[in-house]
Amino acid sequence: MAYFDRFVDSRRPELEKRGHEMTIIAQDPTVTKEGRILTAQVRVPADLLALGPRSHRFHVVDYDSTSGQLLPPVDLNDPEREGGWSYRDRFLEADDATLTSSAAFHAQNVYAIAARTLAHFEFALGRRLPWGFAGHTLYLVPHAFAEANAYYSREDQGLLFGYLPDETGETVYTCLSHDIVAHETTHAILDGLRPRFMKPGLPDQAAFHEALADIVALLSVFSIRELVESQLAEEEGRVPEGTLSEAEFKSSALYQLAEQFGRATRPDRGSALRRSLELDPGEGWKSDLEFEEPHRRGEVLVAAVMRAHVAMWGGRVRDLIEAKALTRRRAAEEGAKSADHLLRMAIRSIDYAPALEFEFEDFLDAVLTSDEITAPDDEHGYRDSLRHAFAAFGIEQPQGRTVDLAEMPLGYRNVNFTALRADPDEVFRFIWQNADLLQVDRGLFLSVDAVRPSVRVGPDGLIVNEVVADYAQSVNSTAGELAGTMEIPPDLAPETEIQLWGGGTLIFDQFGMARLHQRKPLEDWDRQSRRLAYLVRRGYYDTRGRLGFSYGSGQGLRFADLHVRNRRAGEDW
Amino acid sequence: MYQVGFGDCFLLSFHYRSALADGRKERHILIDFGSTHGPRKPVKELLEKAAALIERHCGANGGPGKLDVLVATHRHRDHLSGFGDVDTAAVIDRLNPELVVRPWTEDPKLPADATAVSPRASSSRRYAASLGEAQNFAEQVVKAVATEERFARGLADDVVELAREQLPNREAIERLNGWAKKGAGEYLHAGMTTAIEQLVPGVKVRVLGPPTVEQAPGVVRQRANHPEYWLTQRAMLAGDAVPLAALRELTAVARDTGMSAEAAGRASAPAGLVRWLVERMERQHLASLYRIVHTLDDALNNTSVILLIEAGDKRLLFPGDAQIENWWYALNDAPDCDEVRKLLAEVDLYKVGHHGSRNATPRNALFNLWGADPDPERPMVALMSTRAGVHGRSEATAVPRATLVAALKRRTTLYSTDDPKLKQPYVEVSAPLLGGHPFERVEPEEE
Repeated sequence: MAYFDRFVDSRRPELEKRGHEMTIIAQDPTVTKEGRILTAQVRVPADLLALGPRSHRFHVVDYDSTSGQLLPPVDLNDPEREGGWSYRDRFLEADDATLTSSAAFHAQNVYAIAARTLAHFEFALGRRLPWGFAGHTLYLVPHAFAEANAYYSREDQGLLFGYLPDETGETVYTCLSHDIVAHETTHAILDGLRPRFMKPGLPDQAAFHEALADIVALLSVFSIRELVESQLAEEEGRVPEGTLSEAEFKSSALYQLAEQFGRATRPDRGSALRRSLELDPGEGWKSDLEFEEPHRRGEVLVAAVMRAHVAMWGGRVRDLIEAKALTRRRAAEEGAKSADHLLRMAIRSIDYAPALEFEFEDFLDAVLTSDEITAPDDEHGYRDSLRHAFAAFGIEQPQGRTVDLAEMPLGYRNVNFTALRADPDEVFRFIWQNADLLQVDRGLFLSVDAVRPSVRVGPDGLIVNEVVADYAQSVNSTAGELAGTMEIPPDLAPETEIQLWGGGTLIFDQFGMARLHQRKPLEDWDRQSRRLAYLVRRGYYDTRGRLGFSYGSGQGLRFADLHVRNRRAGEDW
Repeated sequence: MYQVGFGDCFLLSFHYRSALADGRKERHILIDFGSTHGPRKPVKELLEKAAALIERHCGANGGPGKLDVLVATHRHRDHLSGFGDVDTAAVIDRLNPELVVRPWTEDPKLPADATAVSPRASSSRRYAASLGEAQNFAEQVVKAVATEERFARGLADDVVELAREQLPNREAIERLNGWAKKGAGEYLHAGMTTAIEQLVPGVKVRVLGPPTVEQAPGVVRQRANHPEYWLTQRAMLAGDAVPLAALRELTAVARDTGMSAEAAGRASAPAGLVRWLVERMERQHLASLYRIVHTLDDALNNTSVILLIEAGDKRLLFPGDAQIENWWYALNDAPDCDEVRKLLAEVDLYKVGHHGSRNATPRNALFNLWGADPDPERPMVALMSTRAGVHGRSEATAVPRATLVAALKRRTTLYSTDDPKLKQPYVEVSAPLLGGHPFERVEPEEE
């Protein structure tokens, strides 16, 4: 195609530029400063940008399926310069009308936020991340249909953003909401990292997809200093005036933000932050049917993380408060820093989280374990903040689920260290040889799904180099066969086919030695009983009447049904 | 409960020991009369047969029949097609209904579409206009999706099917208007009193729903509840509106990119990456249309009149197709909600909401009151008029929903018109209204 010809002879990338500053709408068009839409310049990794815009990981296609219109691709490069590396921000000084009505800006906004979100993940995990489908590029469709909805479709390899026009000329574009774009991008990234989370598991597993997407979206928004500063209060100056305790600062800062974001964000769901903050700490959610609905359940995790965020933030400004020297700008800076840090901790934890059969306590376990490895000292008490925030909701770090293998006499006979860093067969050989010590049943089907290198900078400035390998085990059986082994719900016909899953994650250190084993054994019958009871209670049968195989939702539509209002949660059958 | 396949048709007959003022010893309330799909075992002239039975059951000792109250819970075809059909409507005509009860949204004095309502009108008037416009949109979906070749069948058929069920049913509405004019018409909202109590002596009726927009303002926060929303959707589907502000910027974009100033149509994407996606987006478009039509389906279901009928020591609950948004007001926000919850906790007969769908029997709200296990002190009977395999492609959306049916079977004695063992054209249950006797199945008379 003609437009690619321009890049055949592309120049060498400019060495001094690893990233571009791109203008985005800081939150969404309803969040304004001095009567104008609040924008921010965010750093996006530099990439060769073809028309679309299209990079090696994202491809913006502006197709509107409702009207059947395909808009021409947008060129974000400097028209005065040759080659695909010459990005120029045309929207730095753009007025509000341009921001809301320019297809080119919509394309830039959605591209920049998606690329920035992926960069957050790659930076925290220290490697390139695959998508959850065969292909390297995720489509971004900024005006996919006339509906207030946005979702990730694995089958279509894309994120689809709807818009909703009305006759008053006011149109809500979901592609202009920072948190919606970050949320949907997170679904796509998590699907690449943990494809089995789309399988029917425990209620926490589906909820985690929503929770992580909300957490990343909120922390991503909060890590924009300009936004936090402008939302903390209308006028410039010191905050708080007079004497304000650390506790008061915490509550006022976050609630003020929640108030601002409450009216914005998703037209269908309202603000995730506000709903999470309205959640009273306690363990009631565990037995409340309402909290089996994934979005509602996810709010528990969001609430715990946001409470931890505000504790960390408060801790960072404690000295300034005591010295009565806290300015809004400084408060915002510290807030953005703690948001950024927590975001990194949350993302990093995914490598340490099980690849299937996920539960909320696994997330806490994974965050704490991964952080202990990169920052053993925890000088700011971040881990304690997290522990307390989660404990308030009855989520405690599980004991013995992550097994320390350092002292175990594991065998490495004939194992090749180089192969072990990349080859699933070699990891399988290691598991096969050490199945007894690892407490893995050789009699069950086992597949090593992924072997990934992970690189990060440790607290001493040196590189921490690890390999993360996931394996899964599964067995197909029937309710009748399993009756003596686990609890079978009373009304379940004995011939009902059931698929059971288990597995684990192995972490190998820089010497190729197995160091940690995160286990979700298939033979945990208490867990299997809880999962089966949940699947039966929610009626998650597939089209053939089986349980545990798939959710039975239409292709590309697993994430489409966002219209979950609080009132409805828990009332459906 | 008459066998109407996928639909609802219930007759409540009250028998008195001594003659009432008009000399009759009975009173009859017909709740809904419609069907969209026949039963498993096909029945010829299904609705005609049901109409004949209604006429017979409303007649005393073989004399001419009389219908005291006709309730049309909401305007879906599966609840009122029997009122629209010439032959079956003639039967209702003969029964000369005294009172026609409908939800407030059906008041003929309300605006029928956006042209009849000003932007300054009350929320409820605008909401009524919005429902009218939404039905016009449904008509257009049927036309567009059923005829345009680019829509692959399968999902497109589901969209058309769902949209068809939202069509205005003008014949039935006009007949109901006529009967209401001849006798009396009531347009109920939550908390109102009803003349049913005068027409059927000894019976107390609580109207639990639907709430008005003023009672439940949360409803109108959704854009879909404004007439403009549906007008725009209609214009866009017809290709009459250029939806995207982006198109206004097209010239600027064209200047920057050197591309043609015209936006390309759906067929013009060149082979390759873009076309691959564009072709797949057709399916997402249909899925989006389906969701949009579904909001109308939900909205109409939520206009259902919910009646809690108290007669002697018995309580009967008839919620039409109401979903949680309709239930919510009576259960949580109404001034008498505490009392209502107490009354609902001890219901003797429950007409299963919306043919046993997943979202019309509030799981927490109702089953927490009823408990999961049978209560010998207060046995419950549930009547479910439904037909499996009509709605819902997946197990999760199937009607009736398996998890609900299992819960009902456990807590209540459940009778379903979809029971393969049911050979008769109706299911009758009966109970003396005093003395604490449960409802029991009455074996049908020989046909």
